[in-house]
Amino acid sequence: MIWIKTLGIVFIIAGFGSYGLMGARRIEKRVEQIKNIRMALGFLEKEITYLQTPLYLALKKTALLTAQPVKILFGESSRLLQDRQGITVGEAWEKALQKLKPACDLNQDDLEILKAVANQMGSSGIKEQIKLFQLIQEELQIQEENARDQMESGRKLWSYGGFILGTMVVLLLL
Amino acid sequence: MGLSSQEIMYRTIIPFLAPVIKDIFMQINPDNFNYLEEIRLRCAQPLLLKTGAQEWAVNRQGGLEKNLAAGYVVCEEDIFRTLISISDNSLYAFEEEIRRGFITIPGGHRVGLAGQVLMAGGEVKTIKDFSSLSFRIAREVKDCSLPLLRHIYQHNMPGSTLLISAPRCGKTTILRDLARNISAGNHWGPACTLSVIDERSELAGSYRGRVQMDLGPRTDVLDACPKALGMMMAIRALGPQVIITDEIGRQEDIAALQECINAGVTVIASAHARDLSEARKRPMLQEILACGAFQTLITLSRRQGPGTVEEIIRWD
Repeated sequence: MIWIKTLGIVFIIAGFGSYGLMGARRIEKRVEQIKNIRMALGFLEKEITYLQTPLYLALKKTALLTAQPVKILFGESSRLLQDRQGITVGEAWEKALQKLKPACDLNQDDLEILKAVANQMGSSGIKEQIKLFQLIQEELQIQEENARDQMESGRKLWSYGGFILGTMVVLLLL
Repeated sequence: MGLSSQEIMYRTIIPFLAPVIKDIFMQINPDNFNYLEEIRLRCAQPLLLKTGAQEWAVNRQGGLEKNLAAGYVVCEEDIFRTLISISDNSLYAFEEEIRRGFITIPGGHRVGLAGQVLMAGGEVKTIKDFSSLSFRIAREVKDCSLPLLRHIYQHNMPGSTLLISAPRCGKTTILRDLARNISAGNHWGPACTLSVIDERSELAGSYRGRVQMDLGPRTDVLDACPKALGMMMAIRALGPQVIITDEIGRQEDIAALQECINAGVTVIASAHARDLSEARKRPMLQEILACGAFQTLITLSRRQGPGTVEEIIRWD
């Protein structure tokens, strides 16, 4: 009987602990993904403003240089735009964001900032596009800094919190 | 042979239209595309097709109507979706074209733009809030210039020639075919090195720097280049025997024309005027004619279809 109890305790603590560690990893990944998006948007900006590459091609090139899961956003929007189905950047970007959402660790605020880009991307002259990308970069930089701050405190909270919560549950059950 | 009218429509025009209008066009009887010259999309107005002197409204089922009120009414979204399609969602890549008022699409067709024009420093900065689009369908009519060649050639070489007519009488189509025939060589003379100064991207229909029309094997194209500047650039850099350009009539064109003639280069150009007497009423054209640059003047009309030759005058 004591063996079953011990095994149960180990499973509960390990389960909560793993969930906590996963939470900590998610926080780290969010920082990494925001950084990847910023780098990708930087590349996209150069393609648009210096080389004047058509948007679908610029998005495709950006996707090639970007790591998963951020790649999904650029690759999917490029795929939707290149078929010339009269689809707007806003619509393609929105669909790509929907596809990215379950695969990424970005929060709702991050996704809202990305969503706001879509209606203006590609639809104005070079100067306006430069301003647009500068604005997004600034907003994403703030998000990245916030995510880093959260990572410092949150990582410990999630890592230790999981095990502590598991232990508390065990104590309550006993 | 180039593409048939139906192939032109299905391959190079319809894919650029907004989805709703695309569906309507797919229902139109293909025979109706044979003489199609223009498609007009105006916000809150019926969708119009222009074939020669006739104009038709298109209804939702793709039927052509004489009664314009029965036509499908184009909405703002149709204009927007068509525009993003022709610009590949990349208006930033077409800033210069928008400033000039048209975008050339693959196939060399020109899409004229209208909307709110923004000015800066006395020049057009851009157009925004687009309210209408006009597709002008470019066609290559191969060998349409053959009957004119014998009037243009003198001693096995083409002489400087001015084509005049009212708009939509086939000047550009004939110039394009002359370029092809002179560049390739023909019954009246050997092949010549030729430069086309295509200020409005109409003759070569260049799309992203690539010539869309067949202008012959010895033709260099200066696309979107001002005519006077282009003529001088071509003489200096490309060594042409013949220069072809469209719609001359500005002060700087006269000096460039004289430079070309003095450099021994033949110039074949077009200008807007119904006939010689009308051309003489336009001060710039009068000056061009008076400077003796041209040996042949050809007047065109639409009397028996575009490209009808009304008059040929030789001054040699």
